[in-house]
Amino acid sequence: MTDSAPTVAPSIGIAALHDLRDHRKHRRMGDVEWFDLAYRVYIVAIFGADAFLWLSSLIGDDPLSAPSADEVLRNGPAVMGMVAVLVFMSGLRSGAQGGPLALETADVVHVMLAPVDRAHALRRPMVQRVRSVLFLGIALGALAGQLGAQRLPGSPGAWAAGGALYGVTLATLWAGGALLAHGVRLPLWAATTIGAVAIAWQGAALVWGIPGVADLDGGLALWGWRQRPIELLATAFAVGLLVAGIALAGRTSLEALNRRSALVSQLRFAVTMQDLRTVILLRRQLNHENTRRRPWVQLRRPGRWRVWRRGWYGLLRFPAVRLLRMGVTAVVSGVALGVMATGTTAALLVGMFALYLLGLEVLEPLSQEIDHNDRTDQLPIERGRLLLQHIAAPLAALVPFGLLAGGAAALTIAVTDGPPAPGAFAAVSILAVPVTLAGACGSIVSVVKDAPDPVSVANQEAYLPPEVAGFGTAIRTIWPLVVSTLGVLTTLVARAAHTAEPDDASAVIGGAVRGALAAALLLVTTLVWVQRRDRVRAWYRRFVDEGKSYTKQNWS
Amino acid sequence: MSDALATYELTKHYGDAPALEPLSLQIPEGQHVALIGHNGSGKTTLLKMCAGLLEPSTGHITVFGHKAGSYPARASLSWLSDTPTFYDDLSLWEHLEYVARMHGVEDWQPRAEELLGELGLASRRDDLPVTFSRGLRQKAAISIGFVRPMHVLLVDEPFVGLDSSGKQALLSLFDQAASAGVTLVVATHELSFVERVGRLLALRDGALVYDGPPADADLDDLVQSG
Repeated sequence: MTDSAPTVAPSIGIAALHDLRDHRKHRRMGDVEWFDLAYRVYIVAIFGADAFLWLSSLIGDDPLSAPSADEVLRNGPAVMGMVAVLVFMSGLRSGAQGGPLALETADVVHVMLAPVDRAHALRRPMVQRVRSVLFLGIALGALAGQLGAQRLPGSPGAWAAGGALYGVTLATLWAGGALLAHGVRLPLWAATTIGAVAIAWQGAALVWGIPGVADLDGGLALWGWRQRPIELLATAFAVGLLVAGIALAGRTSLEALNRRSALVSQLRFAVTMQDLRTVILLRRQLNHENTRRRPWVQLRRPGRWRVWRRGWYGLLRFPAVRLLRMGVTAVVSGVALGVMATGTTAALLVGMFALYLLGLEVLEPLSQEIDHNDRTDQLPIERGRLLLQHIAAPLAALVPFGLLAGGAAALTIAVTDGPPAPGAFAAVSILAVPVTLAGACGSIVSVVKDAPDPVSVANQEAYLPPEVAGFGTAIRTIWPLVVSTLGVLTTLVARAAHTAEPDDASAVIGGAVRGALAAALLLVTTLVWVQRRDRVRAWYRRFVDEGKSYTKQNWS
Repeated sequence: MSDALATYELTKHYGDAPALEPLSLQIPEGQHVALIGHNGSGKTTLLKMCAGLLEPSTGHITVFGHKAGSYPARASLSWLSDTPTFYDDLSLWEHLEYVARMHGVEDWQPRAEELLGELGLASRRDDLPVTFSRGLRQKAAISIGFVRPMHVLLVDEPFVGLDSSGKQALLSLFDQAASAGVTLVVATHELSFVERVGRLLALRDGALVYDGPPADADLDDLVQSG
């Protein structure tokens, strides 16, 4: 027996680790299908270019008027600084919740528990993570800069470079904040508090014109137009955060790594498989977002409407952080639609996406039913009817969020330059709830379409030639977003009425009523689809089978 | 001489749910311990904290006087999980090579071959463990756990999925480790294993309810939940 633990020189373990990683890297490179990879890059480039051109067309290329340009110059740093603050807060919270690193589970068990220098062992995954985040920041920043160049003074090259600088600064801010928060074991409440203080400060800068905490960061976004060297201090600060975070690599929590490793690998697989539901569930687990053990309100007397009550059992167990996020999403949708109402049509996309996300959150009772289809199949009720009943409680729960979105839209219209259009506030009050429900129709479609099918996907795609089977997959992915977009487009009816008769409040109100009716029609159509979907698919399958047997009989 | 494993007022909470109540215990070097308890009693939580995979909510753990999870602790402690994990692109032989080398064992081949032979895995050395059945994955994890030097061995539910030859091989490996003076802590539902150890620890709902010789224990009562 010996009373001293075995000792291993740190260099031996590290040498073996390097050999392990190099060996695996060479093997992975050898397994890569280069043609397949080139095809994926080609597809991403095609769709990316199309999306960029479409955004570009929405923004237009008429130079801003002098007053508008002055306003951008005056308020731009504060607005873009708010983006920086939100990014920083996101990084802090990520680090406080165990991020931003995620290793393979095998690395956590075999490497992190081996006698190797953990800081050294984590260096490569850390660099890889930071590198990908920085690349994303540069790419998005440069693209956004290009869009800005269409209407603001300055050359496209300068705007692309300035945008890239802004993007990489924000990315560095995120990564540095996350690594530092993790390294110092910053509690989540502290990360949130720091972020909230920064948001409040920057918000005050926006409203009252005082210097904001992130004005230097925001100023970088305008470097395509004018350059102020002092704003590079923001970049230096972000780099300093990153260096400090990397220096604390040895303090990385193994418990956090272990927990995240399994979840992140599942998350990546779910993203690859376009399994949105699994992505949502795993994101909640990564963020420690657990359903409440006790509901906010205990439902007492049992009633007749069992499915309605079941929905409220689930909704009343939403954790506070989810309710807060839904509230913020509703406000974002309201602000976006308010901005759209005052002329910026591109804001429709933001509003649509926010309502789509809000719908996915509130449809949890329906999603749960679809997750557990083995129980559904045993119930003595037609599935379409049952799913329809599961939508009732979530739609009712959406109403207060719709009102919140309406309030945000009204406030946005009130604070934009110039007097609000006659009847604008009345139009908002008419449209708020119907548009919110219509925007969530895409979420309903997204959730229900993932329900197991009487006609399986494999069988469906057997009826399609291979050339269009992939296209069908793309359509199925985009279709829910199209439905949400249709829901949000109903607001344009009121805007069009105002454009046609700018001084007539009743025209705007009439347009709003028509828009609300269109939104209601979309909602009803979606609900009918939910109820009838299985019957229609079963009919389609019978139709195809009959056709096949007829062909076989008459042509064999 | 410091204890092989020692905990001081150790607790663990998951949110507001307690997983382990304050626990203080000392396991001297060379002792063999069986850890039993009902599902959810805290066995895996305790072992993972000793291995350094979980952070205590309060209290601390030492391995030969060094903090759990520290460099010296990792050099001396081997952890066999109930859910084996492998790289999806390394063969079993490659796993053995790299784990052994990361623990400073350069002449690892003889020991690896011996382990594979004992566990009946010699013919599978070039296969990917991620493709193995449950039982084979368990055997593969055992071989990886034993290929490196250790002074403390923590094992969580090692017998699940093993066939009778696998169980015999594992028990033989435990005996070999015991002869070499390794401190052994095994969490298990196999009550027959308890007869082979000198000390029994029983957890119930996160609390230690028994610490003593196995012969004096009412095993059926100890594995009941509260």
